[in-house]
Amino acid sequence: MFLLLWAFSLVAASPIQDTVKLVEVEVYAPALDRFAQGQKVMSWKKEDLESYQGRSLASILQEKSPVFIRQYGAGMIASPSFRGTSAGHTAIFWNGLPINSPSLGQSDLSILPISAIDQVSLQFGNAGALFGNEAIGGSIHLESGSRFGNGLELGLMQQVGSFGMLNTHLTGGFSTQNFSSKTRVYREFSKNNFPYKDLGLIGTPEVKEDHAKFDQIGFVQDLGWNLNERNQLKAAFWWNQTNRDVQPVMGSNTRDEQEDQSIRGVLDYFHFGKKSIWNLKTGIVQGKMIFNESLNQTTQYFVSGDWDQTFSEKWNTKTGIRYSLAQGKLSTYTADDTRVELYQSTKFNANEDLAISLNLRQLIYSGTFAPFTPSLGMDWSFWKRSNQYLQLKTSIGKGFKVPTLNDRYWNPGGNPELKPEESLSGEIGLNWSGTGKITWNQGLTYYKMSVDNWIIWLPKGNVWTPENIKKVSNQGIEYQGTLARQIGSWNWKLTTSYTFSKAVTTRGTDENDQSVGKQLPYTPQHQANANLRVQKAGFSSLIGTFFVGERAVTADNPRTMPSFQLFNFGMGYDKLTFGKLRFPVSFQINNILNTDYQVLYLRAMPGRSYQFNLSILL
Amino acid sequence: MKLNQLLWAAALISVSFACSDSGEEKPLGKYNNGILIMNEGNFGTNDGEVYHLNPSSEALLPNIFETENMRPFAGLLEDMVFEADRLYLVANTGKVEIVNPGDFKSIGAVSAELDQPRSLAVNGNKLFISDYGPYDASYATPDSYVAVVNGLDGGVVTKKIAVSNKPEDLFSHGNYILVAGSEENKIEIIDATQEAVIKTLDLEASPKQFHAEDGILWIYAVKANEVIFYTVNLSSMTLGTSYTVPVANATKSIAFDGDDEMFVLTSSGWPDYNDTVVSIDIEGSKATVTELMTGSGFYGIGYDDDLDQIYVANAKGFQGNGTVTVLSETGTVIRSFDVGRGPSGFLVY
Repeated sequence: MFLLLWAFSLVAASPIQDTVKLVEVEVYAPALDRFAQGQKVMSWKKEDLESYQGRSLASILQEKSPVFIRQYGAGMIASPSFRGTSAGHTAIFWNGLPINSPSLGQSDLSILPISAIDQVSLQFGNAGALFGNEAIGGSIHLESGSRFGNGLELGLMQQVGSFGMLNTHLTGGFSTQNFSSKTRVYREFSKNNFPYKDLGLIGTPEVKEDHAKFDQIGFVQDLGWNLNERNQLKAAFWWNQTNRDVQPVMGSNTRDEQEDQSIRGVLDYFHFGKKSIWNLKTGIVQGKMIFNESLNQTTQYFVSGDWDQTFSEKWNTKTGIRYSLAQGKLSTYTADDTRVELYQSTKFNANEDLAISLNLRQLIYSGTFAPFTPSLGMDWSFWKRSNQYLQLKTSIGKGFKVPTLNDRYWNPGGNPELKPEESLSGEIGLNWSGTGKITWNQGLTYYKMSVDNWIIWLPKGNVWTPENIKKVSNQGIEYQGTLARQIGSWNWKLTTSYTFSKAVTTRGTDENDQSVGKQLPYTPQHQANANLRVQKAGFSSLIGTFFVGERAVTADNPRTMPSFQLFNFGMGYDKLTFGKLRFPVSFQINNILNTDYQVLYLRAMPGRSYQFNLSILL
Repeated sequence: MKLNQLLWAAALISVSFACSDSGEEKPLGKYNNGILIMNEGNFGTNDGEVYHLNPSSEALLPNIFETENMRPFAGLLEDMVFEADRLYLVANTGKVEIVNPGDFKSIGAVSAELDQPRSLAVNGNKLFISDYGPYDASYATPDSYVAVVNGLDGGVVTKKIAVSNKPEDLFSHGNYILVAGSEENKIEIIDATQEAVIKTLDLEASPKQFHAEDGILWIYAVKANEVIFYTVNLSSMTLGTSYTVPVANATKSIAFDGDDEMFVLTSSGWPDYNDTVVSIDIEGSKATVTELMTGSGFYGIGYDDDLDQIYVANAKGFQGNGTVTVLSETGTVIRSFDVGRGPSGFLVY
């Protein structure tokens, strides 16, 4: 079968990459790091996401990755900061479609529920060439998919937890060798009526949050067809609606309400040639946000095609083109933006230990050329023993961010003269991996980047307007490690991570700007996390902790927020059965020590919470 | 009658004269002397705070509310009103904090039932608080009101008196509260006992601030190309003489020098956003307008009568802390220093 042949050839070409390997039962998805040599990539598969069911993408990123999440309260807006960059410097993809709002240039991670996703991958650093617009600090790749040949599968999960949490997830799947379908329906609800010390009231009494209700429903449909041995169709559809009472900042008694509705659909056609894969992709991403009563709506349409060719054992290339149309219908303006981008990737495998890739991309938006973005990377396993090896990863690349529709057209204040933000970054990393009684992977990465023409909104009289003003320079060290061992019938796995990030303003708004030379706001210099998982037979237990260092409220740093560390605990048993039915049960405690903390100034966060999960699977 | 004969001391924008009957001298505390600098804070961050400045020694004490009360102010500081031996800190995020002016210790608050309070006046044993009310879908404020609280140390709102859109400054006189109705160019007069609007005066400009002296109340009101100083006859509650001065793009920020001048901030706004500090000198019916300083980001103004110095606050785009520039009466820059976030006004004791 050609699909299977492809699986072998991809694996053979990159023997030590921890990538999604194409297995014949899976719908094909191009590997994220096929041309991402020298770049740091990490991913979580279905089983890693299991303990985050019922939670959002924000939670797993905050607790298990080096990404800092700026969170405006429980279930409230949460935006990612990769390597000290801002929320608008993270490209987010769902099944290969960019889903950041074209008006805001970012996404709210709180309304990307883990239950709608089967795999999450993170790529760090500039990847304008590989992933295009907004991949400056990094990119997030979400995949959903179905499998072939599994017959009928049904599942119901019910979660009950503190602060009025009540989640229900229903899954139904049916597949043969050549057709697969998977349907998911979910509702995630929380009153979020957690107690907190209200610093905005005289005497700082403990009060209950009364305006942070979170109510989300959604529907995901994945389909796959093997038309024949050489042709595959894949489709995915995701509808998600969230209604939130916006949690006010302490000291305010606002009663804002926000409704977010998104529709995302994608259709992929793959043709597997002898040494090539053709992919035609078309999709739609629509976002509707109603804040109180004002409506903002954006729609993006995409058509793309690419050709992935293996010329020899040593040479691979991928060439493609994407057309996109973004339409914004906002409360203050209406605007369209058409984009065409051409991309080309080439990989050279000198031998099985050394791979070099060169990626190029040129995007044109509304007739304007975005900065041309090349990147060059290398993976080199320079030292190998029977059960361990050392790998050097290094890359250099450019990234860009096209001014958002709001930046250009917001009325009043939008600035059509804005230039794209432009960045340059390089990194070098060393990985040490081994297998045996103990398996491990320890990696250390140093990165350096600068972002120029950084867009900020400044008030001019009563009107705020964006300008290409700042220049920012970031550098840091990321450590990431896993250590796994079997002791008797117990499986132990420890994952650890530490990040040091220095992100400073190098050019400010004017010569008197006090932010020059200082750490960017809400960008901790130190961040760390550790998770220990123990497993025996059907029993598993997890203890995790994460630490977020001090961070400044503003760019000139006069006020800082204290560091905090939270601990989470979970345990579960998944061998409970009755006939063909399985009943996995689990229990979780978040913020075990009931730590009082805020991520952002005066935004209350919940203390200790409990959660029970019960599933019925067929 | 010359305006310059009527205006003296009391440079803070909103300090009204209702407290002039208290008479008794209080011993000076740590903070009820010198200059209080009001820092509004940033929208969505609620980091408003008060700084204290000793203008002679130039010693500056930051964040005095948080320092003295061991909790953040947690609000956007819209106005500071010194009345009835209390300092009222009005946060437009929905509360009024009441502190002892000498040591800044919290003595009470109005923390429920308010939406976007703007200013406050004391009448007898009641507090009157002007409030924009909630925004509607198009960010208009059709439900503006003046809230009534029984008790000078705060408490609950007992009544909301509907007024015209966007009430700003308040002035208490006798049994009356005058309301500057900024959006609909009105002065509404509330009977403090009945707690109801009993009379309305129509203006030709948007009223921003009251200023009183010798039984005459002045209203500072702005139009696109001029400012108008109205007088109110307090015994009949009718409009008297008015003075129109050709100052374009005037903002609500004004300071009175106590001798013969007023200082006003102007801003051309979008798209040129040129801000200026102008002095207005009225002699008889003739007004002289002089530009003292130009720049961008001016957000508040005050006047120190002891040293004859003008204080100009610059919010610096709210990206971080703002600055204060001290000017002589002729506009010479004396010095400049950093203060809190979004500096917007001064209370000069």
